[in-house]
Amino acid sequence: MTLFRSMAIRMALVYILLICGFGYVARTLYTVQIARHGELFEKAQNTYTTRIETHGTRGEIFDFDGSLLVGNLPTMDIIGDPANIFILNKKDEEKTETECRMIADFFEKHCGNINSDEVFRRLKRRSITSTDTNGEKKEQDCHYAVIATGIEYETAKMLKEKVKELSFHGISFTSSYRRKYPKNTMLANILGLTNVSYDTFVPIQGIERSFNDAMTATSGSMVYERARNGRHVTFANSRSEPTLDGYDIFLTIREPLQAIVEEELDLMCERVKPHAAWAVLVDPSTGDVLAAAQRPTFNPNDRTTMTPESSANRLSELALEPGSIMKPFVISYALDKGFVTPGSVVDCEQGVWKYAGRLLHDTHNVGKVPVTEVIKQSSNIGTAKVSVMMGAKNLDTALRSFGFGQKTGIQLKPETSGIFRPLEKWDSLSVSRFCIGQGIAVSPLQLARAYCMIANGGYKVNLRIVDRIERGDDVRVMPVIKERKSIFANPTTKKMITDMMIGVTEAGGTCTEAAIEGFHVAGKTGTAQKVINGQYSNRYYASFVGFVPAEDPKFVLLVTCDDPTVGSRYGGSASGPTFKAIAERTLKYMHVQPQLSREEWLAERSAAQKALHERKVREDALVQARREERDRQLKAEKTKETAKRSGATVASRPSSTSSAISTLVRR
Amino acid sequence: MNKFTKKTNPSEDGAGTGRTGTPWVAGLILKMGVMMIIIAAAFIARVHLNDKTEQLAREASEIRKQIEEKQKEIKMKEFELAQLKSWENINAKIRQYNLALHAVNPSQVRYMKRFEGRVTTPSLYGGDTRVADTSAGTMQTSAGEIQ
Repeated sequence: MTLFRSMAIRMALVYILLICGFGYVARTLYTVQIARHGELFEKAQNTYTTRIETHGTRGEIFDFDGSLLVGNLPTMDIIGDPANIFILNKKDEEKTETECRMIADFFEKHCGNINSDEVFRRLKRRSITSTDTNGEKKEQDCHYAVIATGIEYETAKMLKEKVKELSFHGISFTSSYRRKYPKNTMLANILGLTNVSYDTFVPIQGIERSFNDAMTATSGSMVYERARNGRHVTFANSRSEPTLDGYDIFLTIREPLQAIVEEELDLMCERVKPHAAWAVLVDPSTGDVLAAAQRPTFNPNDRTTMTPESSANRLSELALEPGSIMKPFVISYALDKGFVTPGSVVDCEQGVWKYAGRLLHDTHNVGKVPVTEVIKQSSNIGTAKVSVMMGAKNLDTALRSFGFGQKTGIQLKPETSGIFRPLEKWDSLSVSRFCIGQGIAVSPLQLARAYCMIANGGYKVNLRIVDRIERGDDVRVMPVIKERKSIFANPTTKKMITDMMIGVTEAGGTCTEAAIEGFHVAGKTGTAQKVINGQYSNRYYASFVGFVPAEDPKFVLLVTCDDPTVGSRYGGSASGPTFKAIAERTLKYMHVQPQLSREEWLAERSAAQKALHERKVREDALVQARREERDRQLKAEKTKETAKRSGATVASRPSSTSSAISTLVRR
Repeated sequence: MNKFTKKTNPSEDGAGTGRTGTPWVAGLILKMGVMMIIIAAAFIARVHLNDKTEQLAREASEIRKQIEEKQKEIKMKEFELAQLKSWENINAKIRQYNLALHAVNPSQVRYMKRFEGRVTTPSLYGGDTRVADTSAGTMQTSAGEIQ
């Protein structure tokens, strides 16, 4: 019995102990797994998991054929760890200082624009004082000191090896990249540029700004469990949010054409020494901007070349009075609606006409001429008379139908819509001035678009500078926005206005300099006075705009010279030769076959020359006859007076000169 | 019968199975040994697998680093190529080597028709051109035609 009792007691004790043990375990389990689960789980997770932020790269910019215009250049940032340098030098103050000085001098020698004293100061600072959320100041080890940023990859690689060789402590190299423009000044004002603020690209202007959202990469993250050495434990749990690179932008620009335009623009600047100059080449059927250049410009790789003058995007932001290049729009509308025909005679008043109490002048004295000659000789009075005949409402409709007062739809920000007053705000003079490009301000791109409409038969088309955006297999093409209905109701209007514009580059036209062998060039000159402080000045915008081949245009080209200071100030002389040079090279690049053989072309030119000569002879004869008639009248009056005095009467009879004049006018 | 009474006769246990103590223990040890061997093998296999995975991950990481390096080098080359292809550079070279280059005259350019599912083989003997219609899988011959 004693044995059994003793066993029973021991068993009971064991049971009690086991129950207590299990109780304790259960309590601990409850505390760990339920009561303090959240806190402990987070603590454990922080100990063995790592979260890293991953960043994609910003989209790049290419021309239509994939030639790189803006890219991300791989660079490296060199970072020092001051606290580590101290510890690794066995906390020896003097030794640390010597090493910091050596590091600073080393990087100054190899990285160029680095101040070694500044680097030394940063590396020496082993601790930093920070204030926590409770307002308490805390001394912390400093593990981050920037030595150099944006060091080119090859240089950084070499430095990395040297640092290894020299056994510098606490130096790390981190990958980064910066925007680089491999073509330097080419297309700089359109491409724009970015600044960097805390590892983020801040777009300033141009495509970089307009397409910033598409080009910006999305950040991702990766959370993984790490081993003691910090490595990713691959068989453990991990999750990641993917990083997406930004979209690459493909422009409608063709680099070879852009190079041609830029080169010829430089030559023009040397020739006429303007204040500024620009040119834009557009495909009239799609509205694609094939090339766009301006001077002065800047090199985005060298910010010291940037000035307000050179960095402005004149093509889309500048609104200027266009001058005579507005005339074809008014005349084409008048032709289309039947107000005039190419043969309708307009009296250009020999160069001076008074309308609404103000005089309007022509550069050349033009008399009664057909509408064709109004365009060919760029008569202000002739155009104004057609415009007055049409009336203000029709003129407003005409100009608005060509897109003036509206944005061109180009994917550039900002873009001006120009200055074009609503009809109700027009004064009595507006109808005679807007039609000749005075009192209305348009941007170069608006002008180019309007000429595209003439060239493509009256179809309104939005300009495009971005063709597509791509990210891997995700390709988004920017659509061509073109109206299906032509603004010309009459299908022959395009031919009529084109024929008139061809005359501009033929003998007797205002820009024979723009004629191209083997092709009919349809164009128009413009010489507009610049408005300075609200007054017309004696400075000019000299422009030439046209399309080639006239019958089947491959491109529309606008060349403008802002205030040419050497040679002629007229659009034909200042911008015409540059138009010709660009157009000739572009036609060759596009392999456009000449429409006429050399013989045919020369024959046409000589026929036009002959016709001009004949017309001049006729006009001279007319002037001579008028002069004779005036002299005869004066003589008759004198005779009359003499006869009056003598009391005799002289019977008047029709003169032979009067009949000669009427014959000439009829011809 | 009292449950706590000692067994005096081993044959009474096991309801007449006739097993003795030694083989029974041996059987149990054997079974447990096999089980432990299986567990140990599984454990070793798992550790080995993890180790292998880790090793592969390390290699992958190294390869990834190398790829990154190569990508950077490719990017540098792309920039170099873009700079070499720029008109600024080409023009400078033309001037440097005094090359009398000029643009081709459009009349010198002839266009060839595009292939549209057909492969042309120029004839070695005379003007015949053998045209293979790849879509139909047949061969046609057209004299003097340049595709």
